[in-house]
Amino acid sequence: MSTINFILNGKPATAETGNTILDAARAAGYSIPTFCHREDLKPFASCFVCAVEVEGRRTLVPSCSTEVLEGMVVNTENERVKRARKTCLDLLLSDHVGDCQGPCMTSCPAGIDIPGFINHIAEGRDREALELIKNNMPLAGCLGRVCTRPCEDACRRQLVEDPIAICQLKRFAADQAEENSWDMVPEQLPSTGKKVAVVGAGPAGLSAAYYLQMFGVDCTVFDAHEAPGGMIRYGIPSYRLPRNVIDQEVEIIEKLGARFEYNTVLGKDITFPQLQRKYDAVFLGIGAQKASGMRTPGEELEGVRSGIEFLGAVSRNESLPIGNRVVVVGGGNTAIDAARTALRLGAERVTILYRRAREQMPAWNEEIEDALKEGVMLETLAAPIRIEKSKNGLALTCIRMELGKPDASGRRSPLPIEGSEYTIEVDEIIAAIGQNIDSSMLLDLEVTSWGSIVADEQTGQTKMKNVFAGGDCVTGADIAVNAVAAGRRAAFSIKQFLQGEPVVGDPKMYNHSMGKLDEVPPAVFEQFNPQERTAMPRLAPKQRAGGFDEVEVGFTPEQARSEAARCMECGCRDAHECALRDFATRFGASAERFTGDKRTYRRDDSHAVLVYEEHKCIQCGCCVRACDELLKSPCLGFAGRGFEARVKPALDRRLALINDEELPKVAEYCPVGALTLKTDAVATLKPGAFLTSKGEL
Amino acid sequence: MKNKGLKIAVGMSTCNMAAGSRKLLERLEKESLDAELSTMGCLGMCHAEPQIRVTDADGRESLYCAVNPAKLERIIKEHLRGGSPVEAWLFNANEGDGAALLTKQQRIVLRNCGRINPESIDEYLANDGYKALEMVLKQNNPSEVCETVLRSGLRGRGGAGFPTGLKWKFALKERRDKKYVICNADEGDPGAFMDRSTLESDPHAVLEGMTIQAFSTGANEGYIYCRAEYPLAVAHLKRAIAQSEERGFLGDNILGSTFSFHLHIKEGAGAFVCGEETALMASIEGERGMPRLRPPFPAQSGLFGKPTTINNVETLASVPWIIRHGAEKYAAIGTEKSKGTKVFALAGKIKRGGLVEVPMGITIREVVEEIGGGTGTHRKVKAVQMGGPSGGCIPADLLDTRIDYDEINRTGAIMGSGGMIVLDETTCMVDVARYFLGFTQLESCGKCTFCRIGTRRMLEILTRICAGDGVPEDIDELEELAVQIKNTSLCGLGQTAPNPVLTTLKYFRKEYEEHINDKKCRAGKCVNLCSYEISEACTGCTVCAHKCPVGAISGERKGQHKIDQEKCVRCGVCRDVCKFDAVKVI
Repeated sequence: MSTINFILNGKPATAETGNTILDAARAAGYSIPTFCHREDLKPFASCFVCAVEVEGRRTLVPSCSTEVLEGMVVNTENERVKRARKTCLDLLLSDHVGDCQGPCMTSCPAGIDIPGFINHIAEGRDREALELIKNNMPLAGCLGRVCTRPCEDACRRQLVEDPIAICQLKRFAADQAEENSWDMVPEQLPSTGKKVAVVGAGPAGLSAAYYLQMFGVDCTVFDAHEAPGGMIRYGIPSYRLPRNVIDQEVEIIEKLGARFEYNTVLGKDITFPQLQRKYDAVFLGIGAQKASGMRTPGEELEGVRSGIEFLGAVSRNESLPIGNRVVVVGGGNTAIDAARTALRLGAERVTILYRRAREQMPAWNEEIEDALKEGVMLETLAAPIRIEKSKNGLALTCIRMELGKPDASGRRSPLPIEGSEYTIEVDEIIAAIGQNIDSSMLLDLEVTSWGSIVADEQTGQTKMKNVFAGGDCVTGADIAVNAVAAGRRAAFSIKQFLQGEPVVGDPKMYNHSMGKLDEVPPAVFEQFNPQERTAMPRLAPKQRAGGFDEVEVGFTPEQARSEAARCMECGCRDAHECALRDFATRFGASAERFTGDKRTYRRDDSHAVLVYEEHKCIQCGCCVRACDELLKSPCLGFAGRGFEARVKPALDRRLALINDEELPKVAEYCPVGALTLKTDAVATLKPGAFLTSKGEL
Repeated sequence: MKNKGLKIAVGMSTCNMAAGSRKLLERLEKESLDAELSTMGCLGMCHAEPQIRVTDADGRESLYCAVNPAKLERIIKEHLRGGSPVEAWLFNANEGDGAALLTKQQRIVLRNCGRINPESIDEYLANDGYKALEMVLKQNNPSEVCETVLRSGLRGRGGAGFPTGLKWKFALKERRDKKYVICNADEGDPGAFMDRSTLESDPHAVLEGMTIQAFSTGANEGYIYCRAEYPLAVAHLKRAIAQSEERGFLGDNILGSTFSFHLHIKEGAGAFVCGEETALMASIEGERGMPRLRPPFPAQSGLFGKPTTINNVETLASVPWIIRHGAEKYAAIGTEKSKGTKVFALAGKIKRGGLVEVPMGITIREVVEEIGGGTGTHRKVKAVQMGGPSGGCIPADLLDTRIDYDEINRTGAIMGSGGMIVLDETTCMVDVARYFLGFTQLESCGKCTFCRIGTRRMLEILTRICAGDGVPEDIDELEELAVQIKNTSLCGLGQTAPNPVLTTLKYFRKEYEEHINDKKCRAGKCVNLCSYEISEACTGCTVCAHKCPVGAISGERKGQHKIDQEKCVRCGVCRDVCKFDAVKVI
């Protein structure tokens, strides 16, 4: 065998006679993607993702089956090659039908492995379920109670009847830790000796501290309040989130080594420049806790206060005289929480005043329902215009509203109806109409005109390289799960920053999807028999009003298992090993570039161990050639022409009718999830339930 | 019975039969004439079929074109029985249309087509048949034959234009126990029928060419890969092979030499991609017709892994002529790099459609306007589509381009196998691109990603544009995809599939832009983007009203007619039938 000299990406390189460009480039340390090439099969050259440029050739050549020749000048990564590679992937994705990860998982801001933990619960592995959740969500018990559940909105099970009770199952897993006294302190990497200041012990700061401690970084968490939790403690009443749940989850972070300094106000007790000097990096999770005003004359009068102030005071157990007649202004969850809390404090008549209609209320429907059941009254299409002192309290003048044309947000904007003013007598007015960010103490740090911190969406890094931020102080008042996710992303970024690596956060893998609920092929869900969603056991309304006991009492293990068993296992068994997903991530490919006809969903699971999903096939031919060349059996073949060409079992029969004991071996040859094994050890778990980012921690 | 010693030949090629020649033959068989009744192949004059040639006892030939049963009765009465040709109906090669058709043609490949009975080896032999083979065997020097073919300048007529002599030399050089030759008769371009006609009308010419090909490359076994949709060609080939074997032109020890050659026919199942040589070989081997990467080229490792020489029908049919007349005589025809003649199938908006064989170097204009007689209507030629789905559209202002591989390549089209489709202003260029891409898209084997999915995405974009849903970015995406598909496909099908789109974008970009931006199809083809109106030029002849399939046209006789736009389906029939050019597209 003789040595060949050639030029590879501008540098001299050598290869053995008979080497392909792919072999030679890989030997020289270049990575070239390929689907159709396998060491143990003859070169085929069908996928063309491995195409490279050879000077003097008109077309690009498939590197998997082109021999290196003396003096050849090869480019494996110039612009022309990269463009072809991306287009190749874009085209394959445009004719690929399936989900990498289920819609629940991709719609969870924190990226919790939902099908995975649900499968653990279904099969009784509650501790494994909780560990899996905690890879992405340290506050499982808290969020298991207060999360707004974007996952359930996306859940495909609602195509059968109702979404899976994902959030309540998460809470169930978290509750088991206390039931069974599990030590849930995760493993930590050795200390790096680096120190980080975390400002704010709310969901974002706690999440950042949890993961930073796991990465071996020492955190000191500063908070202006006397206890941790931020908005989930001071904005959410204890009947929804018992305080011990917060305390237990914070205790884990303490056990990981984080120090907490409460009653410490940034800009007063410590300054931003001090933190930057004393610590290697700073994470800002200071929230959006300044209540917005109603801009109504008289709002400064005694008896008028903000929802945040009210709920915070209740949370701090401050003795709070409450009038008999309370009006809460606003339509969000804080308004509902304030109203229900007022009721629990003994108010006789609590009314929520909202300027749009019930359908437009941003509050969670179940919460509204619960509030109404408990006796809260709802006055919609009305807004306050004036507050005055009256003989026995306050005189609140309101005006009736009607809905006009949709505004920029798509919601129909309310318009006052002239001459419809009316005045009511009240004792107390609680304004829960939004929160602002106070970022004045951050001095030179770049903030937007409305005070929010400017930070990179993917990494949380601010314009000051050693300062990171996440949560409400970046986004404005938002749901808690987004803050937890932002804290986690920032922890990854800070670790990278401290190690001198490029700061990329926790990059997301490419995710393929079958689309929105109305785009899902009926064959996906028609096979499931309806089984009603398990209702969360609740305290009876009569039992609630008097106290702050938790209203939702949690699933029994039997209920949890039965509910978990409803999961339809969306997502692909091959999601963590799929070459298409890997390359799509690496080369920034997109399924959106080309739209048009697609494969039909066709799943053949008739075989004892092998599943064929034709809709995922990328036509690389590895399985066909494995049958042909290795099994010496025509089990699988190509059929049809053009865009409709397909890999089919012989004579287009069902797999079960293919009489070849060795057939299951071909699953290993499929670079995507078109041919998978039912008996694969990992595949007994539901899709997604293995190899999460845990591998990186 | 006055007239004796007649020879009557009825055109019985597929095209003649489609025009009704079988009835004529049956009629003549019933008539007890003292004449030798035989058949002949295709003369190439498809616009004037069926044809009957009468050779009088004195040798005078009379060719009757476009014969129908009524005409035949008069021919029987006056000529066949009466002895006086029906002068008014005789085809005249020396003046008028006949001269225009023939003067600039030069027949080498088609030398016997329509001249001899394709089912008779004796007629082939009487026209110098198998003389070239005899010469070659006598000389017994394969390498010399390769040199002759190389010197003649003959290039592959399947479309790619690779020098035939060179291909043969490569195969000859291989020292292997077994070699094959293949005749690629898997003609599949829409509108192309050169090979079918040659095989039907002169099968021995192809057999002789193949036997010389086998001798010159050292092969002793060959295959003719012919599409099963050509039953007459297959039948004639089978008969010709049997005859040749019987006479010792095929089989063991041909003409007493040590050279043996066995020939088989493999009927293709109709996949266009099997015209690609590696897919063709896979198909002969019993595999799915899917191309594979070259190298190795067939000359090194072809059919069943053995050195194989593949040539197209037209190429092989040229070979005996070259051997008999010498390389120099062949090389004297044509341009510097494109020698000899080329057969074209003229179709589309053309007065004299059919097969023509012209010397390389004449212009497309001469072929279309002089030989073909132009569009035959008042409409001007808009473009000429050459090379079928792999080719492109050459606009009217480039009609002076010469028939030459390199000159045609420069336009973006290709010489191709010989399809030449004439387009006039009623042809929408976006629709033409869509038609050809639709064809290749369906015929892709589905192996390569770009060809399988990329062509489909291009087709979807074109369909969108034709439906009036195009957006300006579509043109960029079409161009980008086109380049990528050409760059990144294994075989010629994929590498050339975007050509119809690229050439129409190059020369008729404005039409794309009109479809997208103005939502107008100036050709009146895209039904969502046009409407028809009858102008003042209308004479009230009522033809359009009668022909309208949906009854959308109304009007008094001799008064201007009107189209009900609600009912109109924009099929364009009214425009096609109007003799006064009164129907306008707006």
